[in-house]
Amino acid sequence: MKNVAIILRRPPYGDINAAEAVRHAMGGASDDLSVSLILMDAGVLILMAGQDVSGTGFTNLGEALTDCLDMGVSVYAERQSMRQHRLDSRDIPERVRQVNGYEIAEIIKVSDTTMIF
Amino acid sequence: MIVIIKSSPDTAEGGRGLKLARDMAADICLIQGGVYFAEKERLEGFCGTVYALEEDLRMRGIRDLEKGVIPIGYDGLTDLAAENDKVVGAF
Amino acid sequence: MPKSFTIFMGTSPYSTENTDTAVGIADAALKKGHAVRLIASGDGVYCFLKGQKAKGLTNSEEAFSALIQKGLKVYL
Repeated sequence: MKNVAIILRRPPYGDINAAEAVRHAMGGASDDLSVSLILMDAGVLILMAGQDVSGTGFTNLGEALTDCLDMGVSVYAERQSMRQHRLDSRDIPERVRQVNGYEIAEIIKVSDTTMIF
Repeated sequence: MIVIIKSSPDTAEGGRGLKLARDMAADICLIQGGVYFAEKERLEGFCGTVYALEEDLRMRGIRDLEKGVIPIGYDGLTDLAAENDKVVGAF
Repeated sequence: MPKSFTIFMGTSPYSTENTDTAVGIADAALKKGHAVRLIASGDGVYCFLKGQKAKGLTNSEEAFSALIQKGLKVYL
């Protein structure tokens, strides 16, 4: 099975990157690829609880991330980025693994392909 | 004068917008990723009035706002733009 | 007192949140009786292409078509 690492560095909604990262993660998972979605920098803001898109026409990216987890995508969040953006481990889904830069390097090293959003 | 900031606090653009507003003694209106500035202790002691677009706050799950930040709708944003002699941005 | 709003649209319809913001401002301003014109330049002209099938975010063609019906003036 091929491994794909998808890195998300941009915050949700302001541009298309977060939606694209999640979309490609789902696409990979449904195509039987092993997908690692790595949240770094402002990309960790997709983990914020209570995103409410009612009346906007936007896809709820917090819920889409949960869908990714349900589909078997491994989701990682960089600890330092979480601290920078004031996210507490208690606020994020349990299945999201918190990692440091070294661990992220290891994930990227074993991936066949890396995509950056 | 009102400065509109759409870029998040971790970007050079967002910081530039905030600094420019401070230097010009302008008020700011936060939209898109700029609404993350409305979280506590992000505004670096900004003294002017701070407005933040409610819809963009809600989408991002931002609830714990800095004291004094005024949430507004597009309705309010339009009023601000009409009332102010100059609208600068969006950074 | 009614004023004149000019919105400059320079980005493509789905790469940023700008489309949604422009639609929100134009809609609110038109409802308040202001004159609103939008100038699309560069990639902004793609906001007005026919046959867009976007879902999961503001469909630019549909949203701007509705605003044009309400009085938005668009210049490409």
